Amino acid sequence: MNIASALIREARFVSYDRVFLGWLLVVFLFAAAAIGSGLAETQHQNETIQHLVEADQRDRASEYSKQGDWGSAAYYSFHFTYDPPSDFAYAAMGQRDAVPWKHRLRMLALEGQIYEHDAGNPELALIGRFDFAFFVSFVVPLVLIFLLHDTQASERVAGRFDLLVATTGTDGFLWWTRVFLRSGGIIVATILPLIFAGSLNDTSFSTLISAIGYVIVYLVFWTIVCIWFSSWRRSAPVILSALIGVWVLLGTIVPAGGRVFIDRIVPVPSGSEILLTQREAVNDAWDLPVETTMTAFFERHAEWKGYTKTGDGFDWAWFYAFQQVGDQETERLSVAYSKGRRERDRLAGLLSLASPPALLERSLQRLAQTDSAASLVYETEVRQFHLALRKFYYPRLFREEPFNVETFTKLPQFSPAS
Amino acid sequence: MGNSEKLRADQLQIIRSGKEVLSGISFCVDSGEVYALLGGNGAGKSTTLLSFLGFLPPSGGSIYIKGVEVRSNIKAARRAIAYLPESASLYEHLDAYENLRYFLQLAEMPFDKHRIEATLDRVLLASDSRTQRLQNYSKGMRQKVAIALAILRDTEILLLDEPTSGLDPSAIDEFHNLVRDLADSGKTVLMVTHDVYGACQVADRLGLLRAGKLVGEFTAPAGQRIETEAVHRAFSSRHAK
Repeated sequence: MNIASALIREARFVSYDRVFLGWLLVVFLFAAAAIGSGLAETQHQNETIQHLVEADQRDRASEYSKQGDWGSAAYYSFHFTYDPPSDFAYAAMGQRDAVPWKHRLRMLALEGQIYEHDAGNPELALIGRFDFAFFVSFVVPLVLIFLLHDTQASERVAGRFDLLVATTGTDGFLWWTRVFLRSGGIIVATILPLIFAGSLNDTSFSTLISAIGYVIVYLVFWTIVCIWFSSWRRSAPVILSALIGVWVLLGTIVPAGGRVFIDRIVPVPSGSEILLTQREAVNDAWDLPVETTMTAFFERHAEWKGYTKTGDGFDWAWFYAFQQVGDQETERLSVAYSKGRRERDRLAGLLSLASPPALLERSLQRLAQTDSAASLVYETEVRQFHLALRKFYYPRLFREEPFNVETFTKLPQFSPAS
Repeated sequence: MGNSEKLRADQLQIIRSGKEVLSGISFCVDSGEVYALLGGNGAGKSTTLLSFLGFLPPSGGSIYIKGVEVRSNIKAARRAIAYLPESASLYEHLDAYENLRYFLQLAEMPFDKHRIEATLDRVLLASDSRTQRLQNYSKGMRQKVAIALAILRDTEILLLDEPTSGLDPSAIDEFHNLVRDLADSGKTVLMVTHDVYGACQVADRLGLLRAGKLVGEFTAPAGQRIETEAVHRAFSSRHAK
């Protein structure tokens, strides 16, 4: 059997199949819409970041000009931190819908500032975004199932099966060729918008190639599943039901059940619990003896032991010390939170090996740096920046250095790693 | 086994789902001969054809095509045969040319427009309907396209499963003439039918199949047809049992 002539024959045959051509168009349009939606969202986020970076600098400069001491300057000024979308985020928004990608920090206790944010749209975060990763992971396999499940069953029902096999001589090659062309068409319709968006957005070549490779391998997996089921000598509805069952199992039951199981075996403190604990610690500090607060503070900053006043009047050094002690009070919860998220993410990664849709979605989110690990990296950057702010202000507060606006040129500037 | 023998069933037994569908039937068909297997519903007629195509491997006995056992080379056996299934459903969203082109390409045969036109003329398919989709065809017109395909395959052997089912009387006569022409040109034809009159019109030999057993065989005298009355009596009496 000449493979090239068989492919040409089936390509011509497929070109007459209006149902297939319709599905091809639908897949292309939905893939393009998903990509377009991602591009619009990342553009919006980039514009927001650009706007806020400029406003942040203006706002802080204006605030500093109004203040006359380091404590007030630190108290009234804000510092914008952000996690810009990667050059592939448009394809997989991932955690960016559920976890904040920007914070406006102050020199106050940090933990509450990290966890006081809500997602931009909680309802959207709950159901997930219709992005390319979701579309290709969960929707395209359904299209393949609808198109391929009755490859042989429909010919049996139409009474053509024996004629086709008798005419071609063998029964395997014909079906493989048909399935290859249909599946190949769907794969091309799926990745074409991705390639276009990749070139438009200057996505790195390696990222784009990896993503295309993942998508192809994933859709080939579903194609093989469809071929296997469609070779059953059963009616088309029976085969379709079985395939839908596999899709529900791999795409819904395994990941959802796994998430419930992981949440149960890896308890993680809630952000609100951390927020409340920290705020209570800070509020209580107003009523505690100064020595109590400063003793706890000096456990971490012994270098400032000789610089503090213990009188009854308000002192900025003491104020910021009890802000930090508030963070220290929640440190155990905060570490448990980060550790728990990492462990859940690790287990979810293992679980995804049993759920190809979840595996693909995670793989694309990892490429797009929108996964859980990326959000923890940003959180670490925020902590490091806040630490840098404290290192800038503490010497000036404890040594009571004369206030000088010019000194703010040495103020740490937030710079995202990605 | 002589050189002219193209098809042979030798003590062919087929068991499906624990039930014996064919019980050791034996017959052969020579080159240029039309052999009709006559029987009622469930007699095993189509099962016999599917066995020759290699779809149903024998539970006992053997099947030979051109002297080669089918099981030893199914692909070669199928390539030697043009098969016309009962109520052949070609692709309804394609026209006659597109259907013929597709199936001929499946058989790795060239698409020769002049030969196709000539064959469609031969099966009397109206010219103006040839570019219409088959969904607009009558059953008889669809059968003509399928017959044209069997002819265009240009194989030595034709297996026809209830080929006149659904055809009107004049189309049946035309078809019988066509089958006779093919046999006279050296083709070997094995057809299964329950049409006693039609089988006697066209067949050189006729086997009566009942409940999986070959219960009688009739041969046309030289230059004459098989006597319909005799076959009808045998068919009716045995069929009634």
